[in-house]
Amino acid sequence: MEQAPRTSPTTLIARALRSPVAFSVLAGVVIGALFLVGTGADPVAAYGAVLSGSLGADGIGPTLTTLTSVLGLALALAVPLRAGLINLGGDGQMVLGGMAAAVTGLYSPLPAPLTVVLALLAGMAAGAGYAALAALCENRFGVPLLVSSLLLSYPAASFASYLARYPLKEPGSSLPQTRQLPVGVALPAFGSSTVTVGLLLVVVAAATYWFTDRRTAFGYEMRMTGLNSRFAAYAGVERKGLTLRLLAVSGSLAGLVGAIGVLSFPYRFLDGSLTASGYTWTGLTAALLAGAAPVGTVLASFFFAVLQVGGLSMERTTEVPRELTQVLQAIVIVFLAARLRFPRFARRRDNKPFDNPVPQGPQSSQGELV
Amino acid sequence: MTPPPSADPETPAVELRGITKRFPGTLANDAVDLTVRRGEIHALMGENGAGKSTLMSVLYGMERPDAGSVRIDGREVVFSDPGDAMAAGLGMVHQSFKLFDSLTVAENVVYAAEPRRFGLVDRGAARRRVRELAEEHGLAVDPDARVGDLPVGLRQRVEILKLLHRGARTLILDEPTAVLTPGEADALFAVLKSLAAQGRTVILVTHKLREVLEGSDNVTVLRDGHVVARLVTAETSAAEIAAAMTGRAVELDRVHSAGTPGDVILDVTDLATDGVRDVRLTVRAGEIVGIAGVAGNGQSELVEALAGLRPVTSGRVALLGDDITHASATERRAQGLAYVPEDRHAVGTAPAASVADNLAMGHHRTSLSARGLLPPAAVRGHARRLIERFGIKAVSPEVPGSSLSGGNLQKLLIGRELAHDAPLLLVEQPTRGVDIGAVQNIHDQLIAYRDAGHAVLLVSAELSEIRGLADRVLVMYEGRVTAAYEKAEADERTLGLAMAGGAGGSAPVTQVAPVEVGD
Repeated sequence: MEQAPRTSPTTLIARALRSPVAFSVLAGVVIGALFLVGTGADPVAAYGAVLSGSLGADGIGPTLTTLTSVLGLALALAVPLRAGLINLGGDGQMVLGGMAAAVTGLYSPLPAPLTVVLALLAGMAAGAGYAALAALCENRFGVPLLVSSLLLSYPAASFASYLARYPLKEPGSSLPQTRQLPVGVALPAFGSSTVTVGLLLVVVAAATYWFTDRRTAFGYEMRMTGLNSRFAAYAGVERKGLTLRLLAVSGSLAGLVGAIGVLSFPYRFLDGSLTASGYTWTGLTAALLAGAAPVGTVLASFFFAVLQVGGLSMERTTEVPRELTQVLQAIVIVFLAARLRFPRFARRRDNKPFDNPVPQGPQSSQGELV
Repeated sequence: MTPPPSADPETPAVELRGITKRFPGTLANDAVDLTVRRGEIHALMGENGAGKSTLMSVLYGMERPDAGSVRIDGREVVFSDPGDAMAAGLGMVHQSFKLFDSLTVAENVVYAAEPRRFGLVDRGAARRRVRELAEEHGLAVDPDARVGDLPVGLRQRVEILKLLHRGARTLILDEPTAVLTPGEADALFAVLKSLAAQGRTVILVTHKLREVLEGSDNVTVLRDGHVVARLVTAETSAAEIAAAMTGRAVELDRVHSAGTPGDVILDVTDLATDGVRDVRLTVRAGEIVGIAGVAGNGQSELVEALAGLRPVTSGRVALLGDDITHASATERRAQGLAYVPEDRHAVGTAPAASVADNLAMGHHRTSLSARGLLPPAAVRGHARRLIERFGIKAVSPEVPGSSLSGGNLQKLLIGRELAHDAPLLLVEQPTRGVDIGAVQNIHDQLIAYRDAGHAVLLVSAELSEIRGLADRVLVMYEGRVTAAYEKAEADERTLGLAMAGGAGGSAPVTQVAPVEVGD
């Protein structure tokens, strides 16, 4: 869908294989296999366990549950990243969203189904508002978004933690958690699985992102800002407004993930549970891996969800520690950062070496001296 | 500093034989021969991509040729890096200078070849050495001045002094006049001529016909990796060189007839912004107003302020009678302004985006979009129309902007802005780094736009461009409009004097122009 029309499937495959993403993933798998062989394990069995554990009948449920969080947060990070902005405050926005959903769920006088909707909206609003605060810090006071979003994350988590430990603490419990939500205030699940309607919400968000990215004027401005912010500003794209809007959307997605987490099992806000798995960072990795492209973000999120769930299963069945999957992730990221790719048949080089001497600046003259 | 080692004065200083250099997909140099006699100023000319850069990289040891030989003073040499080339007596002044701004002239000149005393740098000796060299070659410059405080013309002298200090007998200068005033350029050529008279050799890589005709002895023209002409400057003409460079007859420095001005479109009164003050100007429908000036005298700031990208500190700007002094860039565009910025890679386009996306910018909220939607088919259709209309050479609308040549990227940018059909067009350096063939096309487009009744404000450092296109010429110097001429009065000499602050020959440019990076 992202490609030009009238490209044959073969060129599409060839192009995909030449992308740094494909190279990184493949390199990760190969090097991971070498690790396995080196430690005396059977790579085929280990990888088989990862796949069957995550995609088999028993694994697909947990994988999709994990995917809900990872994809939601990956989208939250991809949306601003598309315009070259990085929101590192996903944790805080998610936790506030979860807490807002918990409070709404506990105290809303409305009937249960409406309360669920309201709790979701409250979660999104809390995340959006908090992320917008980070954007305002950049727009008004010149605090870089990277810094403002990250630093604002900690007080948010502490505030939610305080609420869960003191005013909203479940009486008599030893855990820092709120009371359980009233019966019926929960996202409907598919059958007996832990997969809820939350997955659908996240997938709808991904589809909306794709549509906005490819087919709206706003998405166009977002992409152009990401590719060259001076170009966008020159043509009149107002950067501050764009930053604010994108951060609000980003925060609302993080808040949505928090709300989904609270409205699913165990149906309460438990301090630390939303952030324990580090999905924010997995989501960031997925968004970076995909260069924030919508379809790519979905695929990368799925890849990481499979690794996380499959890794656990591999550990159970093959005695290979699940850290292997983290090694795999790390290798993929390192390769990706180096932007390596499969070479073409003939390697192209910059054929204007004289106009752009490779070493720049006066420092380079050192190399030119006798 | 020493005379050439070889005794025979007929031995060429530099002799390249059959240089072939292939890059994947291109044959950058195909059996190129270049002979440069000792003591001559030899111009190497050609359009972008003709192979002159590659040839100089081979000569300077930055690239290994696939075939061919290099002889310096009659001895065959193989350079593995620029250090070898320097040891053999070559020296190059790059287009972007390689100097330490925070160090003094003397420190820069002796850097990495310092006179020593007890193992320490002998600063006194360094200063004396710079004075000696400066005096010997007429390159007056204060050895204790900080390089960062010097105007561009003097920085270039520092670069030349650096090479002379290291004993370079052959100097290679890459587009040396790109950032100089006409006065500074004249001074440079005087220096080069005196160096040549002392037996040093100068290779000048340039695309400026005028200075080649005035300042060189011989010309070698490259096209598509081949030598297409070897000319003796005294016996050739600008037209002949241009024809060799492009492979067809080119009408040079055409002066277009004046337009017929109508109503005032842009009215600027007492405008001030960073680096600009007291600017008053009007541009009428059907006229091109040219702003001449050496880069860095406030032209860019003025245009940015007019385009809404830089806040106006005082004064008033009216477009079609409405006050837009504090309007945003978007509001100005809606009011009827289009803008071709100076830096087409960093500002005017997103090279990583597709040609179609680059062409959509500014149209994406108006003609191409409905209720916030931007259908990809509309973007592609728009791109195809502009590609056709403006003769942009792109494989398809989907290829990235970075795959286009400089000239084609500029056509894309100008085409996109002309397509707005805005009453006022701001254009900065429309043909910088663009091949001669494309220059003509771009000039014709601008004239046609003017004749269709639009107002055009043109900023250019090329005098021939200003003279050819502008109906009226304003000269900016140190942030102010210091002179205004009608088309008939604006001859090269008058403008050149005004650009240098009215003082004439030597150029008292106090503002430091940004160092231009070649493309």
